[in-house]
Amino acid sequence: MTNTIKFVLLLLGLSFTWVSLSGERGPVIPQGKGEVCVADTDFMRRNHMDLLVHQGDDTVIRGLREGPFSMADCVDCHVRHDDQGKPIRIDAEGEFCSTCHEYVAVSIDCFTCHAAVPDAKEPGSAHNNDHESDKNHRHRLAEQP
Amino acid sequence: MSDLAPDPVSCMDADFEHNTKANAARRRFLQRIGVMGVSALTASSLPMNVSRGGSLLAADIGSSAASDEPVSGVSSERRWGLLIDTSKCSAGCDACVRGCHEEHGIGVSGNDHTDAQWIRKIDLEDNDSGETMSLPVMCQHCETAPCVDVCPTGASFKRADGVVLVNKHTCIGCRYCMLACPYKARSYIHEPVTDQLSRAPRGKGTVESCTLCVHRIDDGQNLQPACAVACRKDAHSAIVFGDLNNPDSEISKSIREHDAKQVRADLQLNTAVRYTGL
Ligand code: SF4
Ligand code: SF4
Repeated sequence: MTNTIKFVLLLLGLSFTWVSLSGERGPVIPQGKGEVCVADTDFMRRNHMDLLVHQGDDTVIRGLREGPFSMADCVDCHVRHDDQGKPIRIDAEGEFCSTCHEYVAVSIDCFTCHAAVPDAKEPGSAHNNDHESDKNHRHRLAEQP
Repeated sequence: MSDLAPDPVSCMDADFEHNTKANAARRRFLQRIGVMGVSALTASSLPMNVSRGGSLLAADIGSSAASDEPVSGVSSERRWGLLIDTSKCSAGCDACVRGCHEEHGIGVSGNDHTDAQWIRKIDLEDNDSGETMSLPVMCQHCETAPCVDVCPTGASFKRADGVVLVNKHTCIGCRYCMLACPYKARSYIHEPVTDQLSRAPRGKGTVESCTLCVHRIDDGQNLQPACAVACRKDAHSAIVFGDLNNPDSEISKSIREHDAKQVRADLQLNTAVRYTGL
């Protein structure tokens, strides 16, 4: 092989690397509600599964439902609605959870049991109030300096 | 009445062991999170609002790691129970069952063999006297619960406040607990479930039963289970909910006054659900 061909091949290789580095990397994830998540995005990306498992134990075993990492709150903020205003399952194709999970080929088990859309509003019911107080709770956390 | 109070010695041992293990695991986790939270905060030059997210996490969780005080949640100072007055319960009424289904998003497919039943209405007739009686039977929240004894994964467990639950995160659907339960209180979920409510996660391959509406108990404000509310709405008021450990609670007083009974008291399970007029 002549030096010229080697040089051309090297150039080609370099340009491929450059193209793949400068292109869009990773999945495009739908934005959630509000300005910030309950914690830093990089931190959530790496640790949301541990946080959810921990919150699950806290809730089921110790009856602590107020934590900032509740599944229902995740769904509330990250769910999107279709043209008729109906919520789309958060694990549906192209939605918040599945976008990433499909990209990294990790199946999600949460929503065989957990609600994948927020509860329908029951006007005047106690649970609606719960929901409101959850929101206030989140705001309180977000407002901390 | 004395059998209502949990055996202090065995309870303490079990609780102590459980708590120490749980606390140790919790502490390890919190320390890890604390460290991760701080590194997430310092390692990156994030915009102001995002780094506030990081600091909130470190402050929120880190501070609870610093103190060993439990934040809130379940306490063994209480033991929740139900008292059912069979003289007020009428045959043919299933308000409590419907109230329960609605509260937990339990759909009815019409297949009696597989539909979940958290409460069963039982009609009894005395063959000799012809006297009839109707009563709801749900999980009796046994103090020494056979379902908890046999569960191979620890998924069946009793909360500190006496509520017996299935932790569906660890339930493998083996159904040993269903065989062990003398009250037929548990249901296995055979079909995929959709349209769950966020307060009541439930799904195929796990076992479930009456939770005494723990989500309401934990909420602290709406302190009546859905069945009791539905029964009162239907003008029967046959179900009273309350703290069995408090001698002055309405339920404890009624239990003493009316000499309430346990179903199958001979099994000595010290159930938290009691019946008058049995
Ligand atoms: S009634 Fe059955 S399911 Fe409920 S605690 Fe007792 S053994 Fe367990
Ligand atoms: S079905 Fe679930 S809760 Fe029941 S014994 Fe098996 S693992 Fe335990």
